[in-house]
Formats: sequence, structure tokens, C-alpha cells
Amino acid sequence: MATETQESAKLTQLAHENPDEIEVAAGREREQLEGWIPALATEAEIREALEKAFDYRGDITITKKDGLQVVGYLFDRRRGDSLADSFVRVIPSNEKTRVNIAYSEIAALAFSGRDTAAGKTFEAWVKKYWDKKAAGERNIQIEPEKLD
Amino acid sequence: MAVPVSQAWTVATYVLKQKLMGRKKYPLVLMLEPLFRCNLACAGCGKIQYPAHILKAELSPEECFRAVEECGTPMVAIPGGEPLLHPQMPEIVAGLVARKKYVYMCTNALLLKEKLHLFKPSKYLSFSVHVDGQREHHDFSVCREGGYDIAMEGVRVAVEAGFRVTTNTTLFDGADPNSVRAHFDELMVAGVESMMVSPGYTYDKAPDQKHFLGRARSKKLFRSILSNRKKTWRFNASPIFMEFLMGKKDLTCTPWGMPTFSIFGWQKPCYLLQDGYADSFKELMETVQWSNYGTESGNPQCANCMVHSGYEASGVNYTFSSLKGLLQTAKGIFFSKYEDEGAMKLLNEWKPTSHGPLVQIGSPVAKSATELQEVSGD
Repeated sequence: MATETQESAKLTQLAHENPDEIEVAAGREREQLEGWIPALATEAEIREALEKAFDYRGDITITKKDGLQVVGYLFDRRRGDSLADSFVRVIPSNEKTRVNIAYSEIAALAFSGRDTAAGKTFEAWVKKYWDKKAAGERNIQIEPEKLD
Repeated sequence: MAVPVSQAWTVATYVLKQKLMGRKKYPLVLMLEPLFRCNLACAGCGKIQYPAHILKAELSPEECFRAVEECGTPMVAIPGGEPLLHPQMPEIVAGLVARKKYVYMCTNALLLKEKLHLFKPSKYLSFSVHVDGQREHHDFSVCREGGYDIAMEGVRVAVEAGFRVTTNTTLFDGADPNSVRAHFDELMVAGVESMMVSPGYTYDKAPDQKHFLGRARSKKLFRSILSNRKKTWRFNASPIFMEFLMGKKDLTCTPWGMPTFSIFGWQKPCYLLQDGYADSFKELMETVQWSNYGTESGNPQCANCMVHSGYEASGVNYTFSSLKGLLQTAKGIFFSKYEDEGAMKLLNEWKPTSHGPLVQIGSPVAKSATELQEVSGD
């Protein structure tokens, strides 16, 4: 679920138009999060950062207060009333298990993995298509990334 | 009929049973996503953007069967990712067919010809081939030149082998209704059982955030496409849902109508929005604040949605909620060509917009609508 910052284009559009009268729907603003290490100084910052981590399409690294590090994909978060009863759910990159970590156990967070959604816009594809077409290429395509 | 009578009967009795049991929220189709990896990298798809270890993960057949039994729907759609990349997909499909579930395996068909021998024709199994328009439109949409020809070859081979084959077309801003109608002609000539069509939607995870149809434009586009229907066209969709797309019917979203199960669990709240995951179907139904979703909720994430995963079940529910609904549906199925002079004018005067890239490639090179009419005899 996107944060309000990410949703701002839609919120602005809807403030002025009825959904049934919208011709072209606004998308969301994408943030450059790869490499970001949030401060986590306040409870609000912790919650906001973990919300963005939930939205992030790359792996993250969580350093726990006991010193252990978990690297993996944060696929869910459960928000409780306090940091102790809120937790994230992570699939570690090197295991097939799921790990639950309470917000209160988290000492540091890093958006360490590559943002797998970055740069994959229609505009990028259109540009690539026309560049390749101009170069005389045939059977132009975007290849899925290699997984090994 | 666009679906076998046995399927229509199964769905109708399922819905009526839910109503007799007094259930207000019940699912209609399980969207089973056994894997996220794909052999295409469409710029419009947000389903495939995960780290490699997630893309390598997949549901086991047992996990799939457990989800299907938990959910209890008569129909199971298997999107993805590309299901044919799952090494145990034939086993999963066979297991679902043995459970008498009507399975729609959603595929880009790039591997269909090669893998077809692993499946057995059945009234319970349909290959739902994703084709986003005529050749150049589809190729551009899936970011692969030649993709259309391979997909249509898969369609042809599967039809010839006696399989049920349906199609699924998603339309984004820039779609040309005249080309879409010609596309429908091509699909019918190819022998597909029926077609599904739905607008694209600004879901958060879509890589492209600039080419989504707003509701006003969606209605205009679908009114021009679906009015003045040719008698040869067969659609695999509730007539009420299609009237909703055409702007002739108001429906509210049924976000629980097509629940999604994947390697992460039960997706909250629906197929396109990701607001976390539940570990069981029961937990999904009980913990999601359903009133927070749907266009009528005011949730900006739902503002422009008219997608089948939210509204197809609404159409079915409308059908079975009153005698009027039943009669309107019957009229839609058997009698209505949806003649509409205004829509014809819209169609004739439609100017391609500059928003979408699809029209930039040039005129569709596939057969023209006139040529196809001659072939289809319409």
C-alpha cells in the first residue's frame, strides 16, 4: 500500500475531479529508494520507513537490536498499536522460510537490494524500441532478467 | 453460449447456494498465482518485479490444492507469472480438473505449442490466452516483436487438439476501438471459444504509471467497442459487467469476488492491490476492512478501477439478486446487439490519442475488419 506521498498525484486529481469524469487517471509518484538508509529516529519514522520497505520491490537488510542481520524480501507488515506488537514478515534471500520481526526489535534498515521496478516504464520501452528500430534491428524485445 | 452449459449450471447453482445460505460475501473465482516469473517482460506488468529468489519460488501442487479447497470457488484462474514455466503445472491442472474445478490457465502462449501434450482436453480446462490486440498492438504491449504470431499459433494448435481456448485482452490508454473490433474478428476466426476484455488500471505495482484509462475514457472506449456487436462475437464475461464497462450500468466493487493466493499467502484485499497477506482464506475474509476498497469508498487507489477482478463478481451477483437481474442478463446473452448510433459515431470519429504508445507503431498489419467480416460471414 503506497504512502500518502506516493499517492499524491492521485489525491490531487481526485480533489478536483469525480472518478467517473476522469479521462486519464493519474499514476503514483515513484521514489528512488534503492540504497536509502532511513534514520528510524522516531516511531513515526520507523512506521513510514517500514511502509516504504513493504512497498519496495527489492530486498532490504534489517539489522536487529541483538546484532543479527536479515537480508530478504519484505512481503508483509502487520501494524499494531505499539512497535512491540507491529511486525514485518520477510522471506530471507538464502532460505525458504518466513521470518517475523517486531518493529521494536529493528535497529537499522537499508534498502540494500536492487529496485527491480526501477526504469521499467513504457517510456523506457518506447525509447528502446525506436532506438533499436532505427539501428535496423529485428525481433526487438525486452528479455526477462536471468535468475541465476 | 460462451461457456459450456455444465459450467454455467455449476456457477449458477454455486451462487444460488451461497445466497440460500445467507452469505453476503463469497468468492466466485480463485486467482491462483503459483509463481511470479515469466518469459515476457511486459512494461505494463507489475507482477514480475521481484528479486530473483522470489521469482524462483513457486507453490507446490499440494499448496495449490489446499488453497482451492479452502476457498471453495467453482472456478480457478491461474495467472502468474507464466504458469507454463512451472514444472508441475500439468500436475496442478490435473489435480484441479479431478476436483471438478473449471480452470482458466492464463498464458501468454509462448510455450503452449511445446507443452500442450502435457495436458488433456477437458470441459473443465480452458487455456486463457492473453492477447492484447492485433499483431502490432499485442507485440508492443508485451514488448516482444513476434509475440502475437507465437501466441496465435498456440491458440490454433490448442483449438485443433480439442482444447477449450479463450482469450483475455487488456486495454490501456491509446487503444484504438476499431482495431480492437478487428482483433475480436481475428480471434473468432481463429476458433476461440470466447473472449474476455478489461481496462488496464493504475495499480501501484504497475511499472507504467502514465497510460491508464480513467473511468470516463474507459466507458467511452468500451461503449464504442462493445455496442453494435457482431453476431459472431462470443464473450466470456457477465453481460452485466460488460454493460458496466460500456457505462450502461452502475456496479459497486466486489473486492472479495476473486481472491488471490500466491507464494506470499492470501493477498489483501484483491488481485491488484497489495495491502499485506493473510495466512488463511478465513483470515482474509475476516481481517480485511472491505468498506475501504472500491471506487465508492473514496480510496484513491481504487478510483479508476473497472477491472473484471473487482466487478465481474458484481455483475454475477446482480444477475442472481433479482428477477430483473436474471431477465436483463438473459436479454444480454440472447438478444442484445447493443445497437447504439451514438457509439457508432464515436467509433467512426475516433481519433487516436497521443497518450499511449500503441498507436505510434503504425497501422495494424493483421487482416482488416472488412476482410475478416468476409471470412466470418458477419
